[in-house]
Amino acid sequence: MSQTLHAPQPYQSGRLARIIDGLRYGGGVGQWSWLAYRLSGLGILFFLVIHITDTFFVVFAPDWYDHTVAIYGGVWFNGQYYWPLRWAFRVGELGLIAAVVFHAVNGVGVILYDLWPRGSLYKKSITWTVQVVFWTIMLISTPIVLYPLRKAPDDQVKSPAHAGSSVEPALISPSR
Amino acid sequence: MAERSMRRRMKPSGGYELFMWFFMRYSGLALVFLAVGHLFIMHILNNVETINYAFVANRWTAPRTGWIWRLWDVSLISLAVIHGFNGLRQVLYEYLSAGGRIIAGTITWTLTLIFIGGGGYSILMFQADEKFIKDHPLKIERTVEPAAIPPAALDGSARIDVRC
Repeated sequence: MSQTLHAPQPYQSGRLARIIDGLRYGGGVGQWSWLAYRLSGLGILFFLVIHITDTFFVVFAPDWYDHTVAIYGGVWFNGQYYWPLRWAFRVGELGLIAAVVFHAVNGVGVILYDLWPRGSLYKKSITWTVQVVFWTIMLISTPIVLYPLRKAPDDQVKSPAHAGSSVEPALISPSR
Repeated sequence: MAERSMRRRMKPSGGYELFMWFFMRYSGLALVFLAVGHLFIMHILNNVETINYAFVANRWTAPRTGWIWRLWDVSLISLAVIHGFNGLRQVLYEYLSAGGRIIAGTITWTLTLIFIGGGGYSILMFQADEKFIKDHPLKIERTVEPAAIPPAALDGSARIDVRC
Protein backbone atom coordinates (compact mmCIF):
# COMPACT_ATOMS: atom_id res chain seq x y z
CA MET A 1 0.00 0.00 0.00
CA SER A 2 1.50 3.23 -1.06
CA GLN A 3 0.70 6.56 0.43
CA THR A 4 -0.72 9.00 -2.03
CA LEU A 5 0.74 12.44 -1.79
CA HIS A 6 -1.83 15.09 -2.44
CA ALA A 7 -0.83 18.38 -3.88
CA PRO A 8 -1.61 21.23 -1.43
CA GLN A 9 -5.22 22.24 -1.94
CA PRO A 10 -5.96 25.91 -2.47
CA TYR A 11 -7.79 27.07 0.64
CA GLN A 12 -10.39 28.94 -1.33
CA SER A 13 -13.19 26.46 -1.86
CA GLY A 14 -16.36 27.73 -0.28
CA ARG A 15 -17.15 31.00 1.43
CA LEU A 16 -16.70 29.70 5.01
CA ALA A 17 -13.27 28.29 4.22
CA ARG A 18 -12.26 31.61 2.73
CA ILE A 19 -13.45 33.50 5.79
CA ILE A 20 -11.55 31.12 8.10
CA ASP A 21 -8.53 31.46 5.84
CA GLY A 22 -8.88 35.22 6.07
CA LEU A 23 -8.56 35.02 9.87
CA ARG A 24 -5.10 33.46 9.48
CA TYR A 25 -2.08 35.66 9.14
CA GLY A 26 0.52 32.97 9.00
CA GLY A 27 0.85 32.07 12.66
CA GLY A 28 3.67 33.05 14.98
CA VAL A 29 3.97 36.05 17.27
CA GLY A 30 2.04 38.34 14.97
CA GLN A 31 -1.08 36.15 14.66
CA TRP A 32 -3.03 37.37 17.69
CA SER A 33 -2.01 41.00 17.51
CA TRP A 34 -2.86 40.96 13.79
CA LEU A 35 -6.34 39.57 14.57
CA ALA A 36 -6.89 41.99 17.49
CA TYR A 37 -5.66 44.86 15.28
CA ARG A 38 -8.16 43.99 12.55
CA LEU A 39 -11.12 43.39 14.90
CA SER A 40 -10.42 46.56 16.94
CA GLY A 41 -10.28 48.55 13.70
CA LEU A 42 -13.64 47.23 12.52
CA GLY A 43 -15.15 47.78 15.99
CA ILE A 44 -13.94 51.40 16.10
CA LEU A 45 -15.41 52.01 12.62
CA PHE A 46 -18.77 50.64 13.85
CA PHE A 47 -18.67 53.00 16.84
CA LEU A 48 -17.53 55.93 14.66
CA VAL A 49 -20.58 55.54 12.40
CA ILE A 50 -22.92 55.58 15.44
CA HIS A 51 -21.04 58.50 17.02
CA ILE A 52 -21.17 60.69 13.88
CA THR A 53 -24.90 59.96 13.62
CA ASP A 54 -25.69 60.87 17.23
CA THR A 55 -23.56 64.02 17.04
CA PHE A 56 -25.47 65.04 13.91
CA PHE A 57 -28.48 65.59 16.22
CA VAL A 58 -26.81 68.73 17.68
CA VAL A 59 -27.59 70.74 14.55
CA PHE A 60 -31.31 70.04 14.31
CA ALA A 61 -32.59 68.40 17.51
CA PRO A 62 -30.78 69.35 20.74
CA ASP A 63 -33.29 67.37 22.82
CA TRP A 64 -32.62 64.20 20.80
CA TYR A 65 -28.91 64.73 21.48
CA ASP A 66 -29.42 65.11 25.22
CA HIS A 67 -31.71 62.06 25.38
CA THR A 68 -29.21 59.96 23.43
CA VAL A 69 -26.22 60.95 25.54
CA ALA A 70 -28.27 60.44 28.72
CA ILE A 71 -28.66 56.75 27.78
CA TYR A 72 -24.88 56.37 28.13
CA GLY A 73 -25.35 57.50 31.73
CA GLY A 74 -28.14 54.97 32.36
CA VAL A 75 -31.15 57.29 31.89
CA TRP A 76 -33.70 55.75 29.51
CA PHE A 77 -36.02 57.80 27.26
CA ASN A 78 -38.72 57.77 29.97
CA GLY A 79 -36.35 59.64 32.33
CA GLN A 80 -35.95 56.62 34.57
CA TYR A 81 -32.46 55.73 35.77
CA TYR A 82 -31.44 52.07 35.42
CA TRP A 83 -28.08 51.19 36.95
CA PRO A 84 -27.47 48.04 34.80
CA LEU A 85 -27.80 50.24 31.70
CA ARG A 86 -25.21 52.64 33.06
CA TRP A 87 -22.87 49.78 34.06
CA ALA A 88 -23.22 48.18 30.61
CA PHE A 89 -22.31 51.44 28.87
CA ARG A 90 -19.33 51.97 31.22
CA VAL A 91 -17.97 48.54 30.35
CA GLY A 92 -18.59 49.28 26.67
CA GLU A 93 -16.77 52.60 27.08
CA LEU A 94 -13.81 50.75 28.55
CA GLY A 95 -13.94 48.36 25.58
CA LEU A 96 -13.89 51.33 23.20
CA ILE A 97 -10.90 52.84 25.00
CA ALA A 98 -9.11 49.48 24.89
CA ALA A 99 -9.84 49.10 21.16
CA VAL A 100 -8.63 52.61 20.30
CA VAL A 101 -5.52 52.41 22.49
CA PHE A 102 -4.57 48.97 21.17
CA HIS A 103 -5.17 49.98 17.55
CA ALA A 104 -3.12 53.16 18.09
CA VAL A 105 -0.18 51.55 19.88
CA ASN A 106 -0.05 48.54 17.55
CA GLY A 107 -0.42 50.93 14.61
CA VAL A 108 2.67 52.84 15.73
CA GLY A 109 4.42 49.47 15.85
CA VAL A 110 3.34 48.70 12.28
CA ILE A 111 4.53 52.14 11.14
CA LEU A 112 7.92 51.59 12.79
CA TYR A 113 8.17 48.19 11.15
CA ASP A 114 7.16 49.46 7.70
CA LEU A 115 8.66 52.95 7.46
CA TRP A 116 11.71 52.88 9.74
CA PRO A 117 14.54 51.33 7.71
CA ARG A 118 15.82 49.32 10.69
CA GLY A 119 12.30 48.42 11.87
CA SER A 120 12.34 44.85 10.61
CA LEU A 121 15.42 44.12 12.74
CA TYR A 122 13.42 44.93 15.89
CA LYS A 123 10.19 43.03 15.16
CA LYS A 124 10.22 41.10 18.46
CA SER A 125 11.06 44.18 20.55
CA ILE A 126 8.29 46.15 18.83
CA THR A 127 5.75 43.40 19.59
CA TRP A 128 6.70 43.33 23.27
CA THR A 129 6.83 47.11 23.61
CA VAL A 130 3.33 47.34 22.12
CA GLN A 131 2.07 44.91 24.76
CA VAL A 132 3.77 46.74 27.65
CA VAL A 133 2.56 50.20 26.56
CA PHE A 134 -1.01 48.97 25.92
CA TRP A 135 -1.38 47.23 29.29
CA THR A 136 0.21 50.16 31.15
CA ILE A 137 -2.29 52.61 29.65
CA MET A 138 -5.21 50.26 30.36
CA LEU A 139 -4.12 49.63 33.97
CA ILE A 140 -4.13 53.40 34.58
CA SER A 141 -7.36 54.24 32.76
CA THR A 142 -9.55 51.31 33.90
CA PRO A 143 -9.91 52.54 37.52
CA ILE A 144 -10.53 56.12 36.33
CA VAL A 145 -13.36 55.01 34.03
CA LEU A 146 -14.94 52.58 36.52
CA TYR A 147 -14.55 54.78 39.64
CA PRO A 148 -17.79 56.82 39.14
CA LEU A 149 -19.79 53.56 39.27
CA ARG A 150 -19.23 53.38 43.04
CA LYS A 151 -22.34 55.53 43.52
CA ALA A 152 -25.38 56.68 41.59
CA PRO A 153 -25.03 59.98 39.69
CA ASP A 154 -25.75 63.01 41.88
CA ASP A 155 -28.94 63.93 40.08
CA GLN A 156 -30.29 60.39 40.53
CA VAL A 157 -29.72 60.15 44.28
CA LYS A 158 -32.93 60.25 46.31
CA SER A 159 -32.80 63.55 48.15
CA PRO A 160 -34.53 64.08 51.53
CA ALA A 161 -36.93 66.51 49.89
CA HIS A 162 -38.35 63.68 47.85
CA ALA A 163 -38.44 61.18 50.72
CA GLY A 164 -42.16 61.54 51.28
CA SER A 165 -43.01 61.85 47.63
CA SER A 166 -45.32 59.31 46.09
CA VAL A 167 -43.13 59.30 42.98
CA GLU A 168 -41.16 56.06 42.75
CA PRO A 169 -37.48 56.94 43.29
CA ALA A 170 -35.05 56.02 40.56
CA LEU A 171 -33.26 52.72 40.89
CA ILE A 172 -30.03 53.22 42.75
CA SER A 173 -26.84 51.28 42.24
CA PRO A 174 -26.54 48.49 44.85
CA SER A 175 -22.97 49.48 45.58
CA ARG A 176 -24.19 52.52 47.48
CA MET B 1 2.12 29.49 4.87
CA ALA B 2 5.21 31.63 4.71
CA GLU B 3 4.27 32.53 1.20
CA ARG B 4 0.87 33.78 2.31
CA SER B 5 2.29 35.77 5.21
CA MET B 6 4.85 37.36 2.92
CA ARG B 7 2.14 38.30 0.49
CA ARG B 8 0.02 39.92 3.21
CA ARG B 9 2.85 42.10 4.44
CA MET B 10 3.94 43.17 1.02
CA LYS B 11 3.81 46.83 0.10
CA PRO B 12 1.65 47.57 -2.98
CA SER B 13 3.80 48.21 -6.01
CA GLY B 14 2.23 51.46 -7.08
CA GLY B 15 -0.77 53.55 -7.99
CA TYR B 16 -3.92 53.87 -5.91
CA GLU B 17 -3.15 50.99 -3.51
CA LEU B 18 0.34 52.34 -2.77
CA PHE B 19 -1.09 55.79 -2.16
CA MET B 20 -3.63 54.33 0.30
CA TRP B 21 -0.86 52.26 1.93
CA PHE B 22 1.01 55.47 2.71
CA PHE B 23 -2.22 57.27 3.64
CA MET B 24 -3.06 54.59 6.24
CA ARG B 25 0.33 55.05 7.90
CA TYR B 26 0.50 58.86 7.93
CA SER B 27 -3.17 59.36 8.85
CA GLY B 28 -2.69 56.70 11.55
CA LEU B 29 0.13 58.74 13.01
CA ALA B 30 -2.07 61.87 13.08
CA LEU B 31 -4.99 59.88 14.53
CA VAL B 32 -2.85 58.64 17.43
CA PHE B 33 -2.78 62.28 18.53
CA LEU B 34 -6.30 63.32 17.42
CA ALA B 35 -8.33 60.24 18.42
CA VAL B 36 -6.48 59.30 21.60
CA GLY B 37 -6.50 62.98 22.60
CA HIS B 38 -10.26 63.16 21.97
CA LEU B 39 -10.83 60.03 24.09
CA PHE B 40 -8.62 61.43 26.87
CA ILE B 41 -10.56 64.72 26.94
CA MET B 42 -14.00 63.11 26.81
CA HIS B 43 -13.57 60.02 28.97
CA ILE B 44 -10.77 60.86 31.41
CA LEU B 45 -10.81 64.65 31.90
CA ASN B 46 -14.60 64.74 31.45
CA ASN B 47 -17.20 62.06 31.81
CA VAL B 48 -19.98 60.92 29.48
CA GLU B 49 -22.48 61.70 32.22
CA THR B 50 -21.68 65.42 32.22
CA ILE B 51 -21.53 65.78 28.43
CA ASN B 52 -24.73 67.26 27.01
CA TYR B 53 -25.83 69.79 24.40
CA ALA B 54 -24.70 72.73 26.54
CA PHE B 55 -21.23 71.15 26.84
CA VAL B 56 -20.94 70.80 23.06
CA ALA B 57 -22.16 74.38 22.57
CA ASN B 58 -19.64 75.75 25.10
CA ARG B 59 -16.87 73.83 23.39
CA TRP B 60 -17.62 74.76 19.78
CA THR B 61 -18.76 78.37 20.28
CA ALA B 62 -16.22 79.50 22.90
CA PRO B 63 -15.05 82.92 21.66
CA ARG B 64 -11.32 82.24 21.63
CA THR B 65 -10.92 78.46 21.56
CA GLY B 66 -14.03 77.33 19.67
CA TRP B 67 -12.38 77.27 16.25
CA ILE B 68 -9.54 75.10 17.57
CA TRP B 69 -11.99 72.42 18.74
CA ARG B 70 -13.97 72.60 15.49
CA LEU B 71 -10.75 72.27 13.48
CA TRP B 72 -9.66 69.36 15.69
CA ASP B 73 -13.01 67.59 15.27
CA VAL B 74 -13.22 68.13 11.49
CA SER B 75 -9.67 66.79 11.03
CA LEU B 76 -10.45 63.86 13.31
CA ILE B 77 -13.67 62.97 11.48
CA SER B 78 -12.20 63.30 7.98
CA LEU B 79 -9.08 61.25 8.67
CA ALA B 80 -10.88 58.67 10.82
CA VAL B 81 -13.69 58.08 8.32
CA ILE B 82 -11.31 57.65 5.36
CA HIS B 83 -8.93 55.52 7.45
CA GLY B 84 -11.78 53.36 8.80
CA PHE B 85 -13.67 52.77 5.57
CA ASN B 86 -10.42 52.18 3.67
CA GLY B 87 -9.53 49.57 6.29
CA LEU B 88 -12.95 47.94 5.81
CA ARG B 89 -12.40 48.02 2.04
CA GLN B 90 -9.03 46.30 2.41
CA VAL B 91 -10.56 43.60 4.63
CA LEU B 92 -13.43 43.05 2.18
CA TYR B 93 -11.04 42.89 -0.80
CA GLU B 94 -9.37 39.86 0.74
CA TYR B 95 -12.62 37.91 0.49
CA LEU B 96 -13.98 39.18 -2.83
CA SER B 97 -13.44 38.52 -6.48
CA ALA B 98 -12.87 41.32 -9.00
CA GLY B 99 -16.59 42.07 -9.45
CA GLY B 100 -17.26 42.10 -5.71
CA ARG B 101 -14.31 44.41 -5.17
CA ILE B 102 -15.81 47.03 -7.47
CA ILE B 103 -19.08 46.92 -5.50
CA ALA B 104 -17.30 46.97 -2.12
CA GLY B 105 -15.04 49.83 -3.20
CA THR B 106 -17.98 51.88 -4.46
CA ILE B 107 -20.01 51.30 -1.28
CA THR B 108 -17.17 52.12 1.12
CA TRP B 109 -16.16 55.29 -0.74
CA THR B 110 -19.81 56.42 -0.92
CA LEU B 111 -20.21 55.89 2.83
CA THR B 112 -16.93 57.76 3.37
CA LEU B 113 -18.29 60.82 1.56
CA ILE B 114 -21.67 60.62 3.35
CA PHE B 115 -20.13 60.45 6.84
CA ILE B 116 -17.51 63.15 6.21
CA GLY B 117 -20.26 65.36 4.77
CA GLY B 118 -22.69 64.73 7.64
CA GLY B 119 -20.03 64.97 10.35
CA GLY B 120 -18.44 68.06 8.83
CA TYR B 121 -21.84 69.69 8.45
CA SER B 122 -22.73 69.20 12.12
CA ILE B 123 -19.37 70.59 13.28
CA LEU B 124 -19.03 73.57 10.93
CA MET B 125 -22.69 74.58 10.66
CA PHE B 126 -23.39 74.30 14.39
CA GLN B 127 -25.13 77.28 15.97
CA ALA B 128 -25.98 77.24 19.67
CA ASP B 129 -29.67 77.11 20.58
CA GLU B 130 -29.59 79.64 23.44
CA LYS B 131 -33.11 78.92 24.66
CA PHE B 132 -32.43 75.19 24.91
CA ILE B 133 -29.18 75.83 26.82
CA LYS B 134 -31.06 78.04 29.33
CA ASP B 135 -33.48 75.18 29.99
CA HIS B 136 -30.81 72.45 29.98
CA PRO B 137 -27.57 74.00 31.32
CA LEU B 138 -24.13 72.48 31.82
CA LYS B 139 -23.87 69.62 34.28
CA ILE B 140 -20.97 70.62 36.51
CA GLU B 141 -19.56 67.74 38.51
CA ARG B 142 -20.44 68.11 42.17
CA THR B 143 -16.82 67.65 43.19
CA VAL B 144 -16.37 71.31 42.18
CA GLU B 145 -16.92 73.78 45.04
CA PRO B 146 -20.32 75.44 44.46
CA ALA B 147 -18.76 78.88 45.00
CA ALA B 148 -16.26 78.16 42.23
CA ILE B 149 -18.98 77.71 39.63
CA PRO B 150 -19.69 81.00 37.83
CA PRO B 151 -23.43 81.74 37.92
CA ALA B 152 -23.35 82.26 34.16
CA ALA B 153 -22.43 78.60 33.76
CA LEU B 154 -25.51 77.43 35.58
CA ASP B 155 -28.15 79.55 33.86
CA GLY B 156 -26.48 79.18 30.49
CA SER B 157 -26.32 82.92 29.82
CA ALA B 158 -22.63 82.95 28.91
CA ARG B 159 -19.97 80.66 27.50
CA ILE B 160 -17.43 79.34 29.95
CA ASP B 161 -14.34 77.26 29.35
CA VAL B 162 -15.42 73.70 29.86
CA ARG B 163 -12.60 71.27 30.54
CA CYS B 164 -11.77 70.56 26.98
